[in-house]
Amino acid sequence: MNYTLQFGQVTPYLWYLAGGAWIALQLAVVAFIIGWAIGLVCASITEYGPKPARIAVRSYVVFVLNTPLLVQIFFIYFALPDYGILLDSYDAVLIGLALNAGAYMSEIQRAGFRSIRREEIEAAETLGFTRVQSIRYVVVPHILKVLYPPLSNQFIIITMSTSIAAIFGVEELTGRAYNINSITFRSLEVFSISAVYYIVLTIVASTILYTVGRYFFRIKGSVF
Amino acid sequence: MLSGVFRRVFGAAALIASAAFVAPAAVDARTLDEILASGEFRVGVNPTLPPRALFNDKNEIDGFEPEIAGLIAEMMGVKLVLVQVGSPDRIPFVAAGKVDAVMGAMSRKVDRAKVIDFTVPLHSENYGIVAKPDSPITSLEDLNNENITLIQVRGTTAIPFIEQKLPKAKLILLDNYADRDRALTQGRGDASFDGIDSMPFRLAAFANTKWKIIPVPEWGITYSSLGVAKGNDTLKDWLNLAIYELHTSGAIEAAWEKWFLSPMASKVPVSPYF
Repeated sequence: MNYTLQFGQVTPYLWYLAGGAWIALQLAVVAFIIGWAIGLVCASITEYGPKPARIAVRSYVVFVLNTPLLVQIFFIYFALPDYGILLDSYDAVLIGLALNAGAYMSEIQRAGFRSIRREEIEAAETLGFTRVQSIRYVVVPHILKVLYPPLSNQFIIITMSTSIAAIFGVEELTGRAYNINSITFRSLEVFSISAVYYIVLTIVASTILYTVGRYFFRIKGSVF
Repeated sequence: MLSGVFRRVFGAAALIASAAFVAPAAVDARTLDEILASGEFRVGVNPTLPPRALFNDKNEIDGFEPEIAGLIAEMMGVKLVLVQVGSPDRIPFVAAGKVDAVMGAMSRKVDRAKVIDFTVPLHSENYGIVAKPDSPITSLEDLNNENITLIQVRGTTAIPFIEQKLPKAKLILLDNYADRDRALTQGRGDASFDGIDSMPFRLAAFANTKWKIIPVPEWGITYSSLGVAKGNDTLKDWLNLAIYELHTSGAIEAAWEKWFLSPMASKVPVSPYF
């Protein structure tokens, strides 16, 4: 009664799975961009905003950082309709991923702001830089160099987290793998192949991020 | 420099891919002798399918299937061990030998029978449409409409039928029936086409929502059995005899009425030949 691997029953679905990987990647990219913007605003408010706004932002960040992503999306998908807000599956998951990523990226970007030393600004002023030139040539390059590695890691984490979308009816990679599994019942084969898709997704993303980091921000590192 | 990076990238990808494709063989299913020797009969049930199985007020798995599994274990003279499974993973669980037999509303289907073996039928499954009371839906034909959204559970019997015969309908696939019911209640879709045997029990749990249940007997009745690992004939043969005795003694029908709050809609024809 040994289990016999039969990848042939799953290979007809490779393009179907690739379509799911594409949806997962779309979700990750959009959630990352929205989350980055939320994080930037929240980090700015936390560092430079008025006290009431700081308290509101900190409450949001503490709530998100201390609750599971799955629970947050359950709240958006199943609880908000009781208050008259009915979001479809894709939007609910996207908003959940973006809000979650926003809280994490707020902390990352706050650390970036704090990494700027007063001496750097003073040195720029001594050299006769205007305020705009100081920001353009001293502050921004410094922050980007500090933020780039943790933000890259956050993108990979978001890509992995898109698999939660399957629970809410989004037909991304994991959802499609479940569907194929329920037709073929070839779990080992189906989930091995979907794992390879995820690995390829993250390796490609890591390689792009590594190359951009290496040549634009002179960040030394490696994909593995 | 980049060529070195790509060599490492592709080398790692090849290593990972080969590891995935040379997956280890699954654990062997246990024969009847091995189950008897171990003193434990491991049965997979799905507690998200009340009243087939559910968590009772002591947070223990209870319901129709655990009760039948308990009777079978008693006849076997061993201890029953219930293992929680879900609709998508119940067949992989038994195929991989993680449970000796699986219940969880195991409709006998030819595709499933390529992977696991089925015992003789335990009960019938009757299908129909569940919709809001003000819905204009009255038949299966009404569902094949691009303005209709069906909310279903992944991995269940009706999905291949819906994909082939109701291609115009939009489909939302959720993880379990509780989520399906909640999503229907919230208006995320128009209807669901699935088994309706459990609806009297489920209606009691959703007292504030009035449902319209439209039986679709022309779709056909399916029969649910216990699923066992492919080729595990010693266990299957014994289970067939046990289920026959449970049918003829009236134990299955009595447990059904107790949990489903009504008699089985279509009786299982019982034969001494199997």
